[in-house]
Amino acid sequence: MRSTINRSDVELASDDLRRRTLSHMPSPLERMIYLGSTRDYNTGLYYHDGLASRFSEEVACEALANCHREAYRQLLGSSVEDLVRQMDAYILSTHTAPRDFIAAWTSLQPYRVAVPAGTDPLAVEFLCANVRIALAIWEAHQDGRSRQRLDASPQLSPVQ
Amino acid sequence: MIQLIISLLVGLALAVSLYFFARRSKPSAEGSAQQLREARQTLDSLQFGLLPSDLVERIFAREDLEYVLSAARPDVQSLFLLDRKKIALAWVGRVRSAVFELMRFHRGHARLHARLNFSTEIRLALNFAGLLTACRLLQITFYLRGPYAAPGMVRSAAAAAGRVCSISENSLAFLNVKRVDQLQSREARHGI
Repeated sequence: MRSTINRSDVELASDDLRRRTLSHMPSPLERMIYLGSTRDYNTGLYYHDGLASRFSEEVACEALANCHREAYRQLLGSSVEDLVRQMDAYILSTHTAPRDFIAAWTSLQPYRVAVPAGTDPLAVEFLCANVRIALAIWEAHQDGRSRQRLDASPQLSPVQ
Repeated sequence: MIQLIISLLVGLALAVSLYFFARRSKPSAEGSAQQLREARQTLDSLQFGLLPSDLVERIFAREDLEYVLSAARPDVQSLFLLDRKKIALAWVGRVRSAVFELMRFHRGHARLHARLNFSTEIRLALNFAGLLTACRLLQITFYLRGPYAAPGMVRSAAAAAGRVCSISENSLAFLNVKRVDQLQSREARHGI
């Protein structure tokens, strides 16, 4: 079935996906997590209703896989500092309590299952190690911010 | 007397090398599609999995070390250094074993299929030998002094591995998947 897919259709669908959906996700981390979530765990195939209705299920699947690999490569090329920034933006966008987010990401490590299929295991291990370190640094920054807020609160009270 | 001993030793050395030469298994003339496929996979894994310059630069990037040393707690710093050391060792270990696999394949089978000339063979042999030695040295360096101890050597090893891949790729035209698939189907038809 895959051989019947038109390459130019896949390119068009990929562009469409980038323009309509992925442009709202500025960081590769966010894009990789999102695109990973469009993949069926049992079949390994990607699904996206909107894209499938404009093109076809096969073309949509291929386009999602392309964009997923692209986001993964971009994330792999990010420095640890950039990864901390991406994590900060991503956590803000999820509206999750920082403590809950850290607990979930530390114990479940969802980023492990969010990588595309067929990627080199060493590169995956490298990415996961970087995410773990970025998470630890982000957590420390978060603690620092909380402490700063606590320290600042008595000074604010007279004004209030 | 001394001349006799020397002659005996030389004779013994020749006999031993003849024995090992005779024992070496001859590759089948048809070549095995499985081995060709494995060689292709090893080459792909080196070229696309381990040697892309952006990945190598990222693994050994000093800016990450500097950032972590300035922004992270001491326990996170230790974890980072340990992770990077493990990854650096795994990287060099995998490059070494892939190069070793390619070398073994060349030694055993390339002569039957490849359009290698003498100078290419010599160049390839020197590259293989140099690369295996460099990888071993890197392993020792990473183990003793950490992943950031020899950035120049990492670059040289990656460049040498890239050269080995290019030579292998250029000289072993039969290693493309299409031909391997054809070979495999031919073997299947003949019940090999």
